Amino acid sequence: MKKIILTILVLTAFITSCNKSLLDQTNPNTLTVDEFWKTESDAQKGVNAIYAMFYQDGTWARWIFFRLDLTSDEGLSKSPWIELADWTRFQYVNYNFWEGNSWTWRDTYKAIFRCNQVLKYVPDISFSDGTKKDRILAQAKFLRAFYYYYAALLWEKIPIVVEPSADPGEQPAENTLEEVWAQVEKDLNEALPALPEQWDAANTGRPTKGAVYGMLARTYMQQHKWTEAKTALDYFFTGAGKDMYELVDFKENFRATQENNKESVFEIQHSNENTGGDCDCVDNNMGSNRGQFFAPRGIGWSDGQARYWLVNEFKKEKTIDNQIDPRLQYSLFYPALEADFGDKVYGRSWEWGADEAWFKKYSRDYYRTNEDYFSEVNNRVIRYADILLMYAEVLNELNQTANAYQYVNLVRQRSKMAPLATAYPAIGNNKDLFRNRLKIERALELCGESVRWADLKRWGDLETQEKVNAVAQRDPDFSNFVVGKHIRLPIPQTEVLNNPNLTQNPQY
Amino acid sequence: MRLKQTKRTAIGFAISLGRFIAESSVKGFFIFFLLLVSGSIIAQTTSVGGTVTNEKSEPLAGVTVTVKGTTAITATNQQGFYNVEAKEGQILVFSFVGYASREVVVGNQQTIDVQLSVSAVDLGEVVVVGYGTQQRKDLTGAVSVVSPSEVKKRQATTVAEALQGLATGIKVRGGGRPGSEAQIQIRGLKNMSNTNPLYVIDGLITTANRDFNPGDIESLQILKDASAAAIYGSRAANGVIIITTRKGKEGPMKIDVSAKSGIQIMPRYDLAETDEFKRLNYMAYDNAGATRQNLDTAINTNWQDEAFRLGSINDLNLSFSGGGKNGSYLTSIGYFGNKGTVISTGFDRFSFRVNSQGSKGIFSIGENIAITNAKADEMGGNPVLDVVRLLPTIPVYNEDNPGGYGYGSESRARTFGTNPVAIANLIEQTNENLRLRGNLWSELKFTDWLKYRLNLGYETSRDHYKYFRKPGNWTLNQAYEPSIANENRAEFVSKLMENTLSFKNQFSKHDISVVVGQSFQQDDYAQIWGEKREILVNSSDRYYDVLDQGVSAKLGGFRNRAVLLSYFGRAEYAYDDRYLFNAVLRRDGTSRLGSGFKWGNFPSVSAAWRISREAFFNVDWINDLKVRANYGTLGSSNIDYYESLAFINTLTTIVMGSNQQKELAATQVRLANSDLRWETLKQQNYGFDLSVLNNKLSFSAEYFIARTTDVLYQSPILMTTGHDGSAPRANALTLENKGFEMTATYRNYDHPFGYYGTVNLTTLRNKVLELGYGRNELYVGNTVTKLGEPIGMWYVLQTDGLFQSQEEVDNYKNAEGRVIQPNAEPGDIRFRDNNGDGQITNADKVVVASPWPKLELGFNAGATYKNFEFTMDWFGSFGATVFNGPRSVMDRFDDNSNYRAGIQPWTPENPNTDVPRAYYGSTLNSRGDTERWLENGNFFRLKLLSVAYNLPDKLLEKVGFSNAQVSLTGQNILTFTGYTGLDPEFSNGSIFEKGYDFGAYPNLKMYSIGIQLGF
Repeated sequence: MKKIILTILVLTAFITSCNKSLLDQTNPNTLTVDEFWKTESDAQKGVNAIYAMFYQDGTWARWIFFRLDLTSDEGLSKSPWIELADWTRFQYVNYNFWEGNSWTWRDTYKAIFRCNQVLKYVPDISFSDGTKKDRILAQAKFLRAFYYYYAALLWEKIPIVVEPSADPGEQPAENTLEEVWAQVEKDLNEALPALPEQWDAANTGRPTKGAVYGMLARTYMQQHKWTEAKTALDYFFTGAGKDMYELVDFKENFRATQENNKESVFEIQHSNENTGGDCDCVDNNMGSNRGQFFAPRGIGWSDGQARYWLVNEFKKEKTIDNQIDPRLQYSLFYPALEADFGDKVYGRSWEWGADEAWFKKYSRDYYRTNEDYFSEVNNRVIRYADILLMYAEVLNELNQTANAYQYVNLVRQRSKMAPLATAYPAIGNNKDLFRNRLKIERALELCGESVRWADLKRWGDLETQEKVNAVAQRDPDFSNFVVGKHIRLPIPQTEVLNNPNLTQNPQY
Repeated sequence: MRLKQTKRTAIGFAISLGRFIAESSVKGFFIFFLLLVSGSIIAQTTSVGGTVTNEKSEPLAGVTVTVKGTTAITATNQQGFYNVEAKEGQILVFSFVGYASREVVVGNQQTIDVQLSVSAVDLGEVVVVGYGTQQRKDLTGAVSVVSPSEVKKRQATTVAEALQGLATGIKVRGGGRPGSEAQIQIRGLKNMSNTNPLYVIDGLITTANRDFNPGDIESLQILKDASAAAIYGSRAANGVIIITTRKGKEGPMKIDVSAKSGIQIMPRYDLAETDEFKRLNYMAYDNAGATRQNLDTAINTNWQDEAFRLGSINDLNLSFSGGGKNGSYLTSIGYFGNKGTVISTGFDRFSFRVNSQGSKGIFSIGENIAITNAKADEMGGNPVLDVVRLLPTIPVYNEDNPGGYGYGSESRARTFGTNPVAIANLIEQTNENLRLRGNLWSELKFTDWLKYRLNLGYETSRDHYKYFRKPGNWTLNQAYEPSIANENRAEFVSKLMENTLSFKNQFSKHDISVVVGQSFQQDDYAQIWGEKREILVNSSDRYYDVLDQGVSAKLGGFRNRAVLLSYFGRAEYAYDDRYLFNAVLRRDGTSRLGSGFKWGNFPSVSAAWRISREAFFNVDWINDLKVRANYGTLGSSNIDYYESLAFINTLTTIVMGSNQQKELAATQVRLANSDLRWETLKQQNYGFDLSVLNNKLSFSAEYFIARTTDVLYQSPILMTTGHDGSAPRANALTLENKGFEMTATYRNYDHPFGYYGTVNLTTLRNKVLELGYGRNELYVGNTVTKLGEPIGMWYVLQTDGLFQSQEEVDNYKNAEGRVIQPNAEPGDIRFRDNNGDGQITNADKVVVASPWPKLELGFNAGATYKNFEFTMDWFGSFGATVFNGPRSVMDRFDDNSNYRAGIQPWTPENPNTDVPRAYYGSTLNSRGDTERWLENGNFFRLKLLSVAYNLPDKLLEKVGFSNAQVSLTGQNILTFTGYTGLDPEFSNGSIFEKGYDFGAYPNLKMYSIGIQLGF
């Protein structure tokens, strides 16, 4: 008996004496934030985590294509999921609609949070190689600018957050579109000095100086800052980037066979090595879902397809040896694809509507008969052909139309199209006519590559009812478009309601 | 249709019963014991003995007989006979559930025969209050005692499910799905993290989950207010349910057998068949100018017939118990089987328990050990919604589809509904766990008034989750997936050590009792999981679903630990049974909370005054009158492990470089509040207990104010923070619940026809006093929560009928003359432009209704006549407005799903309807954020109806049984409600959208037959 009592007393004393350590349980599973951001390796992993955001559904794995490609006049949705389709035709009813709006908003700020962490913590880490540190910080700046650029395109008037969130209750104030553009310019200009012209083989895929100039030019162009845009683009023609880029076999811009080629200016690296979900978890999907969502009915979800006017536009002009524009073969699935080029659609003959078309770029029909969520095809966010056409546009806007021709011709030449002046002699040095033709040149070269929504906004084609009516000729969804309202998305309603410092976009 | 179902019900019942009698493997075992055991009783020599009978002079078995102030205890045998050693002048206390206790002073006689009478409330009943017991008459706090026999009448998987309507202030929702665990809420929503109460089973702080056998319960009490629950301080904020499991009683071995077998019926929607569907679907397409889809009108699938079936329940219990003067034992075994009402679902539980105790001198020792194995065959997808989303024109099987199942098709049936038959056959999903739960205790009784107790508890659960999927599709345009096998194995271990010292003594009219103690509890949970794809298959399509073969291996694991340290004490003082005082203090420290915030103190005080014992109180017809008041503080730290810390997510990878090599990524993904502190509930409770008319009518009422500050919950945060996942836990809210509870019982067993009736009434109002992060309002889904208002009020667009003509559309203008809905056409919904800006936007939304019931009512009644017993329980809820999610799917025409049978959309020919015109492809009439989908959630339901027949004593004697009962029970068999969904008594996991029926698994109608035998 005494032994029992003694044992109990000893145990009690033991427990009482080590109260403090017992209650301080440490998580055996992972690092606390305080334990991280100490070494070069931490910094490298931290910046890598920003790239991991490219694989998430709200961004470049899935939904961004609905916003940039399908909402534009190049695409449409006939999804049986009506709400999903409504969000590609300016019928925004529930502003919290997750797939159409909130998901992309959330993932945008998730990515920005990761950039902000690197920019806050990495400066205090000591590196043996200072260049490496500078490059990590520059990558974070480039990527932050990248996400703010697309957020500015979509919602315009958003809060700028440049510090990692410490308090979960933070309610950031909204900024004007001008302030957002200024932030993008600032980050890009600050990223520029540290980033290399080219990375070594192990780091191919990280942003180069060329990628920064490309994004910078896009940012200036959206603001019609043509002079600044030209200065940025000069890098490719008179600067250090001269001769670094060239046009490759057209189809190799949309396949996994020749990734990071000479035409690529900035490219998102995808892989099918992991087969997990869209998550910050083990085996996270590193592929793109685009193919699964854009493949024709019966093959994929078919939530997005191409407007048929693109097919007609391709067929308006023949090549110099009187063939159909070869870009059509690799740009679209359309009824006459097999007749024109001998290509089937994922191994099937045409079984869809006579006036329907789907985007072929980034599809894997070149080697598969189906799609899935794990497409390994890299997304070429900026390629040299786009740079050439951007340069032509900038020169034209700066009244150097004659000088602009050569850059359009380089793009046309690859596809065996006659020089522009030969094909369309009426344009001459008329700035407006040149711009109008350039709009078509961009569609033929870049359709389905997520640049069209920015193009329409930049060209002012959505500014007046008359112009919108013209767009609606190509894409009847624009008959729902309200000038001054649908040029930007509504901000997710819960963000507005739960943040007194943020107001909803006009007219919503 | 209805006829068909009734017929099937009857057949199913017969089959189920037949199966129970013919097939049950347990049955052979039971018969074996029936034959083996004889009802012989060995008489003992005693100093005092006698027979205890009821008012009808029938012997009462199992009456507890104690000698007051000593440890001597015994129980009456089957003939109502007891014997006990007692000295002259000592007091014998006779107590039995449902009867008024009696005290008899021992004189010089050897025989004391006692007659007990039924009482409405047994004031002498012993109530377990945590680290000790009290007599019901001495209670100063709000404690409900639930009779285990009531619990056992119900077919329920868990204890919680069986409690609905049996006590005031208890709200139970959920259940129905095989193996599902019902949610239980005591006195309203006080907390956002875990609304389930704390369960204490034989002193072990745990949960009475689905692997606990309700058949093992001997007593169950619910501690509802702060003073009652305070002894469990830190985790008691949601109330405490104390369960004591059965023990052996002195006497020869007693064998109890009970068997219940029943059927379960799923309620059903009334949905369109192909002809009606075709007409409506074509109308919707035609109105929208869309090309009709090529419906397969040769098919007429009733998806409810495919997905639902008759469920069945079998519940078998067998126990052996007995004991001597210095020890007792109980062994029980049980089986519970449930074939679910949804195809390919089910639940099985095997349980085994040994409780024994012994004593020598001042030392006693005992243990309670339960081993259970529970396995649930889980439901995939949500068939309750799928039967609505699938069209009747889709065949169940379709050879053309991968896997061979029918589902939507782009040209013939555009729907993303998932085929439940395909899911049932392509996916196997089971969740199994083996739990060992037990405690070892020993007591040193130094003197009559001082004892020391050591309680060592140990609980472990070995969990095994298994998922296997064959290739094949169940929905339109599904991405290809190979066969996938996923398994996880987990281990939960909880260790408890408690030391308590109890002092209890009486000095003339002063009763004093004091308990002090200390407790240490450590919880560990660890898991490993793995997954592979392209699983090995043989030529006859048999899969080897282990994680051995296959590709794309993934694995992971984690482990967690939490520690709770506590010190507590309680003092009770009673003067002459008139003035009762009770004070409790508990101090808890938990590893889960933030550094510097780990410790909390939880005091409470309570007092009661038994007016009826005062000399001046001289009212004959009042037998007992007591008023009570108390005030107490409780805590809660029911949060996940390590939630106060922010972590780095190191799990993801990226590819980079010309060879696309994998690189590691790491970053902070989730935010955390490092200053997480105790959530504190401060509660005041005022009540009185009254017994009148010879204890026939009893009345009890309570009023309480409960205020919870620093509520730990996942307060939604802005997406601009960059945080991902469920919101970080924060001490973000202050909530107030004010409520009134009342119970009135009338019992009359003076005549051969005896009966009782109890009315329970609860009314409750919650109010938010603080919302956290400095907010004044919080919007979640279709709800808004504002300061000073209840949580989650419905916040939607108001509708104002339908436009009947173009003229009405054109004339619907705001003050400035702007046409409000210029694109509307006749037959479209007219929305209210509440802000008058001439357009319908989110800014027009207003608060329209509350999801909270104003009144909840329980009515229990029973009667006995000769050998028959009759019981019924009703439960009703009134005043809540609920959102009918499934109807928002059925009644829409923009998207393809099946339609409600008989629905009348607006047409120029049929304008007298409240359903807007059918229009495919536009969400404007079917938007989810309007009051169109809100409905009155009132209901009054017959939860239980039971008739039992006790076999006559003469017959029993012949076969050697001490008792035998056959009963028939029906549950949820009658519901009065205006709600058009499957079940107005639904539950969902949401806090802010509490009244949203997402297509919840409904409560089932059940009919069962039961047999109870004792010998």
